[in-house]
Amino acid sequence: MLVLFTDTDTDFTPQTAHEYGYNLISMPYSIDGKTVYPYVDFDFFDAHAFYDMLRSGVLPTTSAISEERYIEYFEPHFKNGNDILYVHFSAAMTATFDNMNKAIEKLREKYPERRFYHIDTKGITIESYNIVKEIGDLHKQGKTIEEILAWAEKEVDRFAIYFFADDLKFFKRSGRVSGLAATMGTLIGVRPIIHMNSEGKMVSVGKEKGRQKAINRLVAYVEELGDDLYNHRVIVGHTDAPEIVEEVVNGLEEKFGKELNIEIVNVNPTAGSHCGPSGVGVCFHAKHR
Amino acid sequence: METSTLNGALFADMIRGGAQKLNNNRTLVNDLNVFPVPDGDTGDNMYMTIDSGSAALNGEKADSLEHASSCVAKGMLLGARGNSGVILSRIFAGIARGFLGAHSADVGLLANAFSNGVEEAYSAVSQPVEGTILTVYKEAVSFANSKMNESSTIDSYFTDFTAELKRSLERTPEKLAVLKDAGVVDSGGAGFVYIAEGMKDVLNGVRISYDNRDAVPTARRIDFSLFTEDSELEYGYCTEFLLRLQNKKTDISQFDTDAFRMYLEQHGNSVVAFKDGSIIKAHIHTQDPGKILSYCRDFGEFLTVKIENMALQHNEIEAQKDYIPKVEKSRKKYGIVCVAAGSGIKSTFSSLGADIVVDGGQSMNPSAENLIEAFERVNAETIIVFPNNKNIILTAKQAAELYDKSDVIIINTKTIGEGYAALSMLDTSSDDNGIIEAELNEAAQNVVTGMVSRATRTTKKDGVDIVKDDYIGFTEDRVYTDSLCRKQAVTDLAKRLNAQNYDIMLLVCGTQTNEEEVNELYKTLCDEYKKTEIITIDGGQPVYDYIMILE
Repeated sequence: MLVLFTDTDTDFTPQTAHEYGYNLISMPYSIDGKTVYPYVDFDFFDAHAFYDMLRSGVLPTTSAISEERYIEYFEPHFKNGNDILYVHFSAAMTATFDNMNKAIEKLREKYPERRFYHIDTKGITIESYNIVKEIGDLHKQGKTIEEILAWAEKEVDRFAIYFFADDLKFFKRSGRVSGLAATMGTLIGVRPIIHMNSEGKMVSVGKEKGRQKAINRLVAYVEELGDDLYNHRVIVGHTDAPEIVEEVVNGLEEKFGKELNIEIVNVNPTAGSHCGPSGVGVCFHAKHR
Repeated sequence: METSTLNGALFADMIRGGAQKLNNNRTLVNDLNVFPVPDGDTGDNMYMTIDSGSAALNGEKADSLEHASSCVAKGMLLGARGNSGVILSRIFAGIARGFLGAHSADVGLLANAFSNGVEEAYSAVSQPVEGTILTVYKEAVSFANSKMNESSTIDSYFTDFTAELKRSLERTPEKLAVLKDAGVVDSGGAGFVYIAEGMKDVLNGVRISYDNRDAVPTARRIDFSLFTEDSELEYGYCTEFLLRLQNKKTDISQFDTDAFRMYLEQHGNSVVAFKDGSIIKAHIHTQDPGKILSYCRDFGEFLTVKIENMALQHNEIEAQKDYIPKVEKSRKKYGIVCVAAGSGIKSTFSSLGADIVVDGGQSMNPSAENLIEAFERVNAETIIVFPNNKNIILTAKQAAELYDKSDVIIINTKTIGEGYAALSMLDTSSDDNGIIEAELNEAAQNVVTGMVSRATRTTKKDGVDIVKDDYIGFTEDRVYTDSLCRKQAVTDLAKRLNAQNYDIMLLVCGTQTNEEEVNELYKTLCDEYKKTEIITIDGGQPVYDYIMILE
């Protein structure tokens, strides 16, 4: 049997994971030296409380999980004679997958006949979420692992994400967005527009003055790059910015009508630690990233 | 004369030469830390590290290479400071391991030992970052090793080694975006280049001068006021220590350094940790050093501990940023000079990306000479100037004509508001000065700047009855409102300027305003103009109680 795994950096919660038949790996963040594992150390993610804390000046850090932890997640399934497919957030953004590879190497020696497959969504938060859900759909439809891998090979690059943040300090500190230096110092009313490229890295693609222009630009990307939009989900993710989400949704529905399958998602705290509060993004099926 | 054998005495001299060369250039290496990472003074740290290695040789009879190299490694272990220093000490620990049992070495053994250095250095870091001293050293070793043939000598090896070091150093910005963005090469890598050059000089017979061998770091000006009663601990503590593992607490030979490092990783970042005999050397940036220290005492006791608040290190760099003359190599592609008055407005422009904010405004216009001084200090290929006052645009143009070392572009910003509008949209990624200038001038067009100030006399203007000491709301062209109440003047002005038609209202508050009033105004304006994003800034400007920038 094939056992599915994903991680909390994809915005999957225990509920969605259960619904789509995934096991969930918890990716931690730390505040003041205290490490928190989402959905292990708490049951319910209070996005408003978390991002409010960031607004008040708390700057969380994130860290890789250990080899041992990966073994704890995976070994029981190998022991039971199952294979694993792990659909994960972008490997280009973290060192955590080195630890995973080491864990898998060890497990391979112990369970040589078991197979481990993994799909890099080359995204994080809602971009991964969208892909993880589609793979969940395929699995539910009874697609084989070969079919799923073939789908991913072709389709992962067809999910685009564009988002903007409210406060650059989180991105600057995490150092995970390239191209920011050419465009700005800090933000005073300016929103950097960021997307994830096909290497799975965050790249700044410009900036807009004011919330409204930034929202318009997100909608414009969907219009320009969108492909087969009605047969895929459009995910709008946010770091505690429901009013902005509403405006983005209105903008999308004005352009594409109510038939669009829009889903609104809270960005998970670990990814949100790099983006900061009051950010909004949209992920959709596209001609290219 | 070609050197075919490396013995202990020569190795010791080479270490001294390396230390000396780095000492001569350490300010240069320090200056490569131009961007504000909370880990300055790489040159000092590396020098103190290698100097401890060199000092460990004093009084030692360093005939054998094994003995000399292990003395150096031991000394560096104890003296290692900072991230690059620790990695440097690991490189030499690896080299010493390669010389175990060797009285002297031929080039083959040297190459082997250098390879050990690569292995040892990478193993000390849990998440090696490419584009740093690690890469520079690794690539140089692998290049020099690949060049080896039967006629290779210690000299030829070092020639290849140092040549590739330099090439690899030049490539570091390609590997590490932060370097590229800051327009510098990696400082740790640069430090290593000087050390290797110094070692090579000794091989080539250059005599070392021993003056100025004190290991006192370049004077550090730490300003404790940078971390106040109300500061947030944003960057944590740079924590370094030597821990002596103790038999009664742990099985020293079985001590799991990986698990130890993993623990550190989970409680901080920039972690370097390794074990040498019964000593653990570790470096970590953490929010909670106490926790780390207690944990360590499960295994042993401390030999030394150093803990520094990185907000001070960090702010120290930020605070000095303007005054550090940048090294020629790091001449920036684009530099930004703004003119503004008021501490808050000045720091706003700095945070928007201005390299230098020249004091000036309505009542005191800077001279062309002031501006040229700023151009000189900013040291960039292209300098973009935001005069922010119509009386200063001409002066700026004149200064630009007098200055021929850079391309100077003057953006026609007539107000602080236009300066903000333009600078905040600066995007140099096109690399085309024509496009940049046009975009900035365009961005400056779409903004209206209103002001609230106290009337100095009773008069009538633009149909408004102005009473002395009332608050008036006006733009450059005309007076719109007069009110006894300052808040009222602001809200009236917003209404007259049609604030609802703009995406952003920036309210820059002057010295006469207070927090309570600003908060009330903010609330009133937010309620009134729901579609407009309202941002308040403590501008600290004189004369104008409020500057209202609508865009």
